Amino acid sequence: MKDIKIITEYWGKINPLKIEDYINVGGYTALEKFVSKMNPEKAIEEIQKSGLCGRGGAGFPMGDKLGMVAKQTGEKYFICNLEESEPGTYKDRLVVDNNPHLLLEGIIISALSIGAQKAYIYINGNYEKQKEILEIVILQAKEKKYWGENILGSKFSLEIEIFSGAGAYICGEETALINSIEGNRGEPKIRPPFPTSAGLFGCPTAVSNAETISNIPWIISNGGKKYSIIGSKNSPGTKLFLLNGAVAKPGCYEAPTGITVKKLIDDYAGGIKRGKEFWFAQIGGACGKLLLEKELKAKMEFGKECECSLGSGSILVVDKSVNIHDLLISWTDFFRRESCGKCVPCREGTFRLWEIAKRFRDGEISDRDKEAIQDILWTLDNTTFCPLGKFAGTAFRDAVGKGIVKF
Amino acid sequence: MNIKINGKIYEAKAGEAIFAVCKKNGIKVPTLCSTKKFQEGVCRICVVEIGGRLVTSCNTKVCEGMEIVTESEKIEKARRINLELLWADHAGKCATCKKNQMCELQNLALEYKIENFHFIPRKGEITGAEELDLIKDNWSRVVVENENPCISRNSELCIECRRCINICPEKKFGFNYRGNSVVVGTPYEKVLDCSFCGKCVEACPTGALTDQNNYLKIVEDLDNLEKFSVAVLDLGIEEKILKAMGKISPEKDLNKLLINLGFEKIVKLGKENLKIEFVKNIKDEYSRTKKINQQDIVVFFISSRIYEKAKRDKNLDYILSEREVARLVRDKEKIKIGKIHPIK
Repeated sequence: MKDIKIITEYWGKINPLKIEDYINVGGYTALEKFVSKMNPEKAIEEIQKSGLCGRGGAGFPMGDKLGMVAKQTGEKYFICNLEESEPGTYKDRLVVDNNPHLLLEGIIISALSIGAQKAYIYINGNYEKQKEILEIVILQAKEKKYWGENILGSKFSLEIEIFSGAGAYICGEETALINSIEGNRGEPKIRPPFPTSAGLFGCPTAVSNAETISNIPWIISNGGKKYSIIGSKNSPGTKLFLLNGAVAKPGCYEAPTGITVKKLIDDYAGGIKRGKEFWFAQIGGACGKLLLEKELKAKMEFGKECECSLGSGSILVVDKSVNIHDLLISWTDFFRRESCGKCVPCREGTFRLWEIAKRFRDGEISDRDKEAIQDILWTLDNTTFCPLGKFAGTAFRDAVGKGIVKF
Repeated sequence: MNIKINGKIYEAKAGEAIFAVCKKNGIKVPTLCSTKKFQEGVCRICVVEIGGRLVTSCNTKVCEGMEIVTESEKIEKARRINLELLWADHAGKCATCKKNQMCELQNLALEYKIENFHFIPRKGEITGAEELDLIKDNWSRVVVENENPCISRNSELCIECRRCINICPEKKFGFNYRGNSVVVGTPYEKVLDCSFCGKCVEACPTGALTDQNNYLKIVEDLDNLEKFSVAVLDLGIEEKILKAMGKISPEKDLNKLLINLGFEKIVKLGKENLKIEFVKNIKDEYSRTKKINQQDIVVFFISSRIYEKAKRDKNLDYILSEREVARLVRDKEKIKIGKIHPIK
């Protein structure tokens, strides 16, 4: 099973800027198959069969999302979410760096399957090089008639536009992302209505993570059934895992879902770095949970029943030489900076938490501060407007709850 | 459809928000941000419980068979913490605030018995030099603007409820910066320049947006026995004044209230003479008929048309809004019951 590679198969083997290289290894055959032998309903059925779920963190079934938008009539949009500003997460960037045509093919197929007239690629404002790559790649594909008017001589037409954000973390949230494209302030909107019924410019919109989309060509070529037997049962497929911190070989690895954290660290990343002692691992970026050594058997999968949601797929291995106070400040500072400022608990709470984290580093904190920490974590968990606030306290809560920091 | 609130069944229409249903049936749910027209759900004070989960009542729509609890320990905790967080960021110098006793934040803090500034570091707890810089940085974005003739802005008192942003017909306000540095301000932080309809001042729950005036001068002129003060009441202003005053004074007779404030003569504008020119002729007329020196007549135009403030001249000394009258009454009441003694 270790050798199944869907996204990373041709990484480093082909020149990402040459469309011919990609075509030579079987690229755009899925699109040709979609255009000539399939219809949108069949494609969505295959994706639903595959069980592919969103790789951005929430794990919403991709097929269901596409199906919901496809059912509706009128103007529709498809958005590829390439915002990716979770600390320690760079999988989408690597996808663009190594095989941008795979992503583009996925975007074209997904957009056509829901009947969208226009697809947006919402890219993080800091990904300047990646934006250039995408611009080149999009032009190449247009020359070959993979998108535009009458794709490959068929009745399908599609427009693609790259939209560069300004690098705000909150714009990875789909309603905030839509606000940003519409020209508004990047902040979440109230749901319902969900974007699948009233999204960009009030039209039904499907927003999907770049990694999720990169799986689509493989599913179309090989069939959904074949995909659904890879990895865990609830959220099948492979996932890009990013191993950072005190591991021997940090980097990006593709592995089937359902794999344990222990296995990822030992088999893929070469174990803990020599001379370091494992302390805990953080799963899924700054908003992720912390796992102690005894919890490393947790399976990495999406879904409501799983022990530990894998979030964006980044795993930060922290060894005992790390100053936990610096880490606390780094987490809280990140959320203080990236909160949009819309709702009270997130705007004020993340800021106060950061203040307390700084005082904590400098010495003892008062009983009042300890009480304040509990209150802020509680209100963040229960009353915030959007998931950012809810996740802003996760790492802090685990650090306190699992005895990693002691008062 | 029928929904259950606190165990009792109530009738509700599809598409109505929980908050609206509660209000209609006299169930009190506090809020700091939602208005009749706009429900942003940003203050997180109006939370209610549905099946153990907290939701904001102002923008959650009702559905058949919903069971809502509006008061519980959990709800109280959420409201308290969020209120305390707001207080911690609010320059709470209530005694000197223009909106003292007329402030929604203050009223809620009283209701929920907020006693301490639980989230603010005390003296001696601030440990690093960085943190002092941070406090400075935090206040550096504060906007205090008194340059325009009609509206006084002070973002120290702002709770970022977005009412003014939503209500402004010209869309003059918006959020600047983000995270904790968020400030409600004008584009590029320029001086506010609009038609001054005053809707934002009316909507502001705190003292962040208030009427621009020279309060000390007004009080001085009213108290000066040598000056003949004329109050010109705009059409329909009486109700507004009584509404703005709320519970400040038990007196409901407006004439008595105004005479108490030191006005000598009260003129009411009718439908036929609504123009500002009429008000400006009053000085001439009184000096002729009552034989009073023009300089000794002070004309106050009491109106919610605060844009007239820009048109003050020697014939019209002050334009007072209903909120300013309420403020005058508030301060008079204090003196009357002997709490505060005016400095001689």
